[in-house]
Amino acid sequence: MATAPGIAEKYIEETLAHEQTSLWGDAWRRLRRNRLALVSSVFLMLLIVVAIVAQFWTPYSYYAQGLGPIYQGPTAQHWLGLDQSGRDILSRIMLGAQISLKVGIGTQLVVIVVGVVVGLVAGFYRGFVDTVSSTTINIFYGIPDLLVALTLVLLLGRSLGIIIFAIAFTQWMTMARLVRGQTLALREREFVEAARSGGAKASKIIFRHILPNALGPLIVQATIGVPMAILFEAFLSFLGLGVPPPTPSWGAMAADGFHAIRIAPHIVLAPAIALSLTLMAFNFLGDGLRDALDPRQKR
Amino acid sequence: MFTRGALLYIGQRLVLIVFTAVAVSSVVFLGVHRLPGDALLNERRPDPAAEAALLHYYHLDLPLPEQYVRYVSGLLHGDLGESYVNRGVQITPLLLREARVSAEVGTAAIVFTIGLGVLLGVIAAVRQNTWVDYLATTTSIIGYSMPNFVIASLLFLLFGVALYSWTGGALYYNSGWTGNYGTLDQILVPGFALGFPYASIVARLTRASMLEVIRQDYVRTARAKGLTNRVVIVRHALRNALIPVVTILGPLVIGIVTGSVVIENIFGIPGLGKEFANSILNRDYNIVIGLFTFYAIIIALANLLVDLLYTVIDPRIRY
Amino acid sequence: MSQPVLQIKDLKTQFFTDDGVVQAVDGVSFDLNPGETLGIVGESGCGKSVTALSILRLVQEPGRIVAGQILFKGDDIVKMSDDEVREIRGKDIAMIFQDPLSSLNPVLTVGFQIEEAIEAHGKAPGKTALSRAVALLKQVRIPAAESRVHDYPHQFSGGMRQRAMIAMGLANSPSILIADEPTTALDVTVQAQILELLRDLNRDLKTAIILITHNMGVVASLCTRVLVMYAGRVVEQGPVEQIFKDPQHPYTWSLLQSIPRLDSDRHDRLLSIEGFPPDLIRPPRGCRFNPRCQFKIDRCLHDDPALMNVGPDQDAACWVTMRRALASNGERRG
Repeated sequence: MATAPGIAEKYIEETLAHEQTSLWGDAWRRLRRNRLALVSSVFLMLLIVVAIVAQFWTPYSYYAQGLGPIYQGPTAQHWLGLDQSGRDILSRIMLGAQISLKVGIGTQLVVIVVGVVVGLVAGFYRGFVDTVSSTTINIFYGIPDLLVALTLVLLLGRSLGIIIFAIAFTQWMTMARLVRGQTLALREREFVEAARSGGAKASKIIFRHILPNALGPLIVQATIGVPMAILFEAFLSFLGLGVPPPTPSWGAMAADGFHAIRIAPHIVLAPAIALSLTLMAFNFLGDGLRDALDPRQKR
Repeated sequence: MFTRGALLYIGQRLVLIVFTAVAVSSVVFLGVHRLPGDALLNERRPDPAAEAALLHYYHLDLPLPEQYVRYVSGLLHGDLGESYVNRGVQITPLLLREARVSAEVGTAAIVFTIGLGVLLGVIAAVRQNTWVDYLATTTSIIGYSMPNFVIASLLFLLFGVALYSWTGGALYYNSGWTGNYGTLDQILVPGFALGFPYASIVARLTRASMLEVIRQDYVRTARAKGLTNRVVIVRHALRNALIPVVTILGPLVIGIVTGSVVIENIFGIPGLGKEFANSILNRDYNIVIGLFTFYAIIIALANLLVDLLYTVIDPRIRY
Repeated sequence: MSQPVLQIKDLKTQFFTDDGVVQAVDGVSFDLNPGETLGIVGESGCGKSVTALSILRLVQEPGRIVAGQILFKGDDIVKMSDDEVREIRGKDIAMIFQDPLSSLNPVLTVGFQIEEAIEAHGKAPGKTALSRAVALLKQVRIPAAESRVHDYPHQFSGGMRQRAMIAMGLANSPSILIADEPTTALDVTVQAQILELLRDLNRDLKTAIILITHNMGVVASLCTRVLVMYAGRVVEQGPVEQIFKDPQHPYTWSLLQSIPRLDSDRHDRLLSIEGFPPDLIRPPRGCRFNPRCQFKIDRCLHDDPALMNVGPDQDAACWVTMRRALASNGERRG
C-alpha cells in the first residue's frame, strides 16, 4: 500500500505503538521494584479472596444476634469479639469487605465509562457536548462532593446501586476533564497527518490511539478514585445513609460502636483498622503506579 | 496591594459569587423539588386540612416557577426561608450562628494542616532520601488513608482511655459545646482530626516544591553570599516553595467542609456540618438548600482570599 | 611581584552518579595575582564552572572535592570548616552567575538582596545597609538607584539585572570576583557594556576577576591572562595577547580559528571543531583531545601530556605544539 494516506497511517501507528510499548515496559519494571506497592497488591488480593469467600461462608451468621455476652472482647471462638448486639464482628468485617470493594470498584467502572465517553466526545468534537459538560464541571467544582452524594442518597433512597451512582456522580467530572485534556492534546499532534489520510479513517485511527495513550493517567486516576469512593461510602454509612442494615458496612460498624468506645474499643477498632489498611493499600498502589508511569523518571 | 486594579478585581469576583450562590441554590432547589420523593409530603400525613394549611404556609401549593421566583428574591435579600421541621426557625440567622462555630474548628484544622504539613514537608525535603524523608513520606500516605472518624476514634482512645488519668480528663469531654464559642481544648482535638488527613497532602506538596526550589539558581546565589543554611532554607527556598502550596488552600477548604460533617457529628459540635447531617436525615429541605448556598458562598470567598494571598506572596502577580 | 591572592594546586572535583564517577575537574592548578583579570575558557562541560564553584565549596551532592588545595591568602579552603567558608563567601571572594533572572530571588527586592549580602558579614546594620546598597547600584551605573533599590528583579531589564548582581557581588569589597558566564544570557550590545563595567571596576577597586566563558572574544576584551580548559584539565595558559597571537595547543588554536574575522579572505571556511565532547567518566587514553585533534602523532594516543613550558610565561599540554605542527604541515593560518 504505497499510497500517501497508507504511508501516513502506518507512520502514525508505528510511532504511537513504539511509544506505548516502551512506556508500559518501563512502567512494569519500575512498579515491580516498589516494595510497598507489591505488598499492597498482595494485601488487596487477599482482601478480594476474603470478600469472595464471605459470599459463601463466614464463621458465624452476620446478622445472628446474641451469640454471646454483648460487648465481649476477642476470644478464641470470636476472633474479633462481639458487638453491641452480640453479633460476631469477624463475620461482619468479612462481609463489609464486599461492600467496600463493590463500591470502590463499581464506582470506578461507572466513572471510567461515563468519564471517558464524555471526555473523548467533548475533547474531539468540541461543540455542544463540550460546552455542556464543561459548564457542569465548573458549577460543581466549588461544591463539596460528599454533600452532593449525601443529598442524592437522601433523595433517591438507600441501596447499593444508588450509593454507587451517587459517588460516581461526584467523580465522573474529574475523569471527564482528564480525558478531555488528553484528547485535546493528542488531537493536535496527529490530526494534521491523519486528516490528510482521509476523513472517516482518521477518526477511527484516533479513537484507537488516543484512548490507549490516555490510558496511563486514566488508570492512575481510577486507582486514586477507588480509595476515595470507599472513603465516601464509609462516611455515608457512618452518618447513617449507607446500605440499610443488617448488611454490614465498615463505616456503619464504626458508628455503631462509637458510644461504647471506652469500654469496648474493639467494636470501633476492627472496622477502623480494616478501612485504614484497605485505603492505605490502594493509596500505596496508586502512588506506585503514578511513579511508574511518570515519564520524567530516569530509569 | 489595594490598587485600583485590585479593587476592580475584588468587585468582579464578589459579583460572581452572588451569581454562583443563585446558581447553586437554583440547582439544589430544582433537584429537591423535582426528584422522586417530594418527601415533605411523604413524611407527615396529618389530616387533609392541616396538610393543606402546612403546604400553604410554606408556599408549596404554588406552581413551581412561582415558588422559585419567591425563593430567589428572598435569597437576594439574604433570607433563606424557614425550616420545614421546626416552624418559625429562620434559616439565615441559624446558619450564621452555626457558621461561626464551624469557623472556629475549621480554622484550627487549617492551622494544623498548614503548620504540620509544611513542617513535615520541609524536613523531608531537606533530609531527602534519608530515613527521615522516608518516614515522613510514608506517614503522610498513612495519614490521608485514615478516615477522619478513625483518627477521631484513636484520639478518643488516647485521651479518653490511655492518658485519661495522666491528663486529668483534659482534651476529652463527654458533653457538647456550651454557648457559642468553644474553649481551646474543645477545639484542639476535633480540629486535629479534621485537619490531619490533609496535613499529609500539604506535606507531600511542600516536599516536592521544596525539592524543586532548592535546585534553583537563586538558592545557589544565596549560598554564595555566605548566608547561613537556615536563612537560605527559610528566607529563600521556603518562601518560593510555598507559592504552589497556596494553590491547595482552595481544595483544602472544600475538604475541611466535607470532613466537618462527620467530625462535628462525632464531637457534638453545633456547627454547619452537624446541621447538614441532621437536616439530611430529617428531610428539612429548606435548610439543605440554604446550606448548599452557604457552602458555595464560603468556598467562593475562600477562593477569592487565596487569589488575593497570591499577590502578597508573589510580587510578580498583580491584578 | 606580590604573593598570589589565590593558589589552586592540583584540584580534583568528582561527581558520584549512578552511571559512574564523573571526573569533572581533574588536576587543575593555577595562581591568581591581586587585581589580575584571569579568563577561564572552554566548551560546555570542560569543567570551568565546576572549578569556580569548587573555589567557594559550592559544589553539591553528588559532587565533591576529592583532592587538591585551594589556598586563599595562604589558608586552604578545602580544609576549612563550613563556618569558615561561609565567612569568605560574599566577603573575600564573591561569585556572580550566568542568568541574572534565575539567579536572583523573584520574591525579594533587589535592594533587600544586596543588603542581605552586606548584613551577612556584619558590616552595616539597618539604615546604613540601605544607603550602601544604593551607593553600589550607582557604582554599577543603574539610573535612579534610590527608587530602583525597592524594585523586584522582574522589573529590571536583563543588563540591569546583571549590573545589580555585580553590585551584590561587590557589596563587601571582595579581593576576588568570580564571574561565571556573566554575559552569555545578554545580547551583544549589553554584553559590551557589562564588560566595560567590569573593566572599570577592576581598575578602580583593584578587585581580581576570574571570568569564566566559552567566548574567546569576551576573554580578549577583559582579561590579561587566560586558562584554556578541556576535559577537566588545563591545556594551555598564558598572557592573553600571546595566546591569541601564538596558541600552542591544537584545541586553543581551533577555538581561535572558529572566530570569524573581518580580515580573512572571503572564501575561508568557518572551521568548527569536529567530534564530540569527551566522556568524563571514561576519558580517552593518552591525550584527552586526541580523538578530535588533526595534528596528533602516535605518542598522543598512549601518553597523557602534562603542562609544559612552551614560551615565556606560557604553558601547554601537548606533545606536538602548533609551532611544530604548522612548520611540518605548512598549513595556512587564519
